[in-house]
Amino acid sequence: MTIAQGEAIVRIAELNKFYGSFHVLKDVDLTVTRGEVLVIVGASGSGKSTLIRCVNGLEEYQSGILEVDGFQMPRAEEREFGEVKGLREIRKGVGMVFQQFNLFPHLTVVQNITLGPIRVRGKSRAEAEAQAMQLLERVGLSDQAQKYPGALSGGQQQRVAIARSLAMEPHLMLFDEPTSALDPEMVGEVLDVMRELAHEGMTMMIVTHEMGFAREVSDRVIYVDQGRITESGRPDEFFDNPKNERTRAFLSRVLKH
Amino acid sequence: MTNFHNLPRWLHVNLFAKPFDAALTLIVLPLLFWVGWAFAHWAVAVADWSVVLGSLKVLMTGLFPADKMWLVWIAASLISGLIGLASSVTMPFGRAAQVFGFLAVAAALVASAWTTSIAPQAALAIAVLFFVWAIGHRSEALRENLAGIAFGVLITVLLVLSPAGPSTWGGLLLSVVLTLTAALLTIPLGVLLAFGRQSRIASLRTLCTLYIEVMRSVPLILVVYCIWIAFPLVLPQFPLADVVRGLIGFTLFYCAYAAEFIRSGLQAVARGQTEAAESLGLSDMDTKRIIILPQALRVAVPGLVGNILDIFNYAPLVFIIGLTDFLRAGQMILANPENSGRTYEVYVFLFLVYFAVGSVITFQARRLEQKLSKGMRK
Repeated sequence: MTIAQGEAIVRIAELNKFYGSFHVLKDVDLTVTRGEVLVIVGASGSGKSTLIRCVNGLEEYQSGILEVDGFQMPRAEEREFGEVKGLREIRKGVGMVFQQFNLFPHLTVVQNITLGPIRVRGKSRAEAEAQAMQLLERVGLSDQAQKYPGALSGGQQQRVAIARSLAMEPHLMLFDEPTSALDPEMVGEVLDVMRELAHEGMTMMIVTHEMGFAREVSDRVIYVDQGRITESGRPDEFFDNPKNERTRAFLSRVLKH
Repeated sequence: MTNFHNLPRWLHVNLFAKPFDAALTLIVLPLLFWVGWAFAHWAVAVADWSVVLGSLKVLMTGLFPADKMWLVWIAASLISGLIGLASSVTMPFGRAAQVFGFLAVAAALVASAWTTSIAPQAALAIAVLFFVWAIGHRSEALRENLAGIAFGVLITVLLVLSPAGPSTWGGLLLSVVLTLTAALLTIPLGVLLAFGRQSRIASLRTLCTLYIEVMRSVPLILVVYCIWIAFPLVLPQFPLADVVRGLIGFTLFYCAYAAEFIRSGLQAVARGQTEAAESLGLSDMDTKRIIILPQALRVAVPGLVGNILDIFNYAPLVFIIGLTDFLRAGQMILANPENSGRTYEVYVFLFLVYFAVGSVITFQARRLEQKLSKGMRK
């Protein structure tokens, strides 16, 4: 992988987030450039999921700067007063893949994928379905289009979820522990799809515990500890020569197995 | 469900598996046979059903003008068509349904040979049910728009019956119209109240919560009676028939219960569903309408069906505002000294009809639940 160059798609500066009085994210600064694959690692409860959930507004933040795709994300206080314009624009351009897949169980696979394009992008049904079939082929599930999510395995569901996000033609994809809820034998099929996306130049922010995948695919790895980014570097530097003591301790714990 | 190919084994497993089972079977089965036989003997040899047959018009329609009975038959056929469409949603139109439909129509026609003149119309209403069922089985468009069609049918039924004047509606007709109208109105109102109760806007939230809690803490009779009295006082320029005021009372009361069933459904939908819809960029309205509500209603179905049964079974309470529903019509027939010896016949008839209607509702609801729980349509 070459080091990604170009303009910033995500610009985060001095971001602070609280759950009540609990300070989750502390003065976070982070810039993601177009085409970059960024992997975020950290112990559970460190705030790494919260960080990427802030990027598409699933979590609110109290202070700082958060710009995505050139749009300003409204702060918690602004959202309380109904300011959601930037939020809608950002979400149209940002795809999200969840740990629990979150497919719509009452809709078929193809309905899951076409819903966004039809309702948000205003595509015709025929157009959206043609696109859905292309995407399903890309994730290797052409024959599952008419099934309901409940009839699919975890790995298949997660691949449908990725196809659903891609149908919105996003500029940025967020992955929140996409393989953590999967049986071990299904992790590979999901990582394969993600790897392919990375090679095609998709900008991705990935929270994961798959260190091998992170080392292979990412352009940059950051370590989040107690709400702060304490280490950031190219994957080879990050894994082979971590500077921070706590990063080293974390890596020795997760890489031991 | 059960394997009848091996009868001895079936009997052994289901009736005589353990000594206690066997004892219970030996007590219950003869008792059931005895009750069944005694009832059959009474129904055939002792009972005089002429009182029911002679008063059928009053039992079924109350004081509805006799020269406008064809309006009732149109309404009955429309409702029967709606039941047919509902059947096509919950079960396939298979060989059994064809045979059953044919037999039902034939029976109604044969009955016309020696009973009353209404048999051809009854045959028509039954035929409509199976005809619409067969059409609905083939047309997905019809099945998917059941809710909209139900509202259309309801409005048509009310319009068809209106020339006779709502004050003449009575008997089973009144019970059915009341149930159908209240059932169809309480669900959308319940949806609005349930969402209102979860609204971000504090005034709306408080208002909906207050409404629901007030309605749930007072008796139905009180609400019906209050609406009946208050309406002419507050809006004297809009004179509304007793039936309409009764309907408003039932709807206002039961929509609070519907709202609570729907709210429990809303709470059962996983948080991730909203998040997934939001991150696709769906609007708040689309998220609620396409993602949250369909899943919530699935959970709410058993409660909502119980609600509809409640409406049907409490419909007799409209007698306090001077209306004559099915049960009341039966009592009025018995008030006639000529019929005083026929109490059992009338009450058994009332019981059987209530039981039949209630069974149709619960049976359809159970099929609907089974279908929804599979989560797939094909």
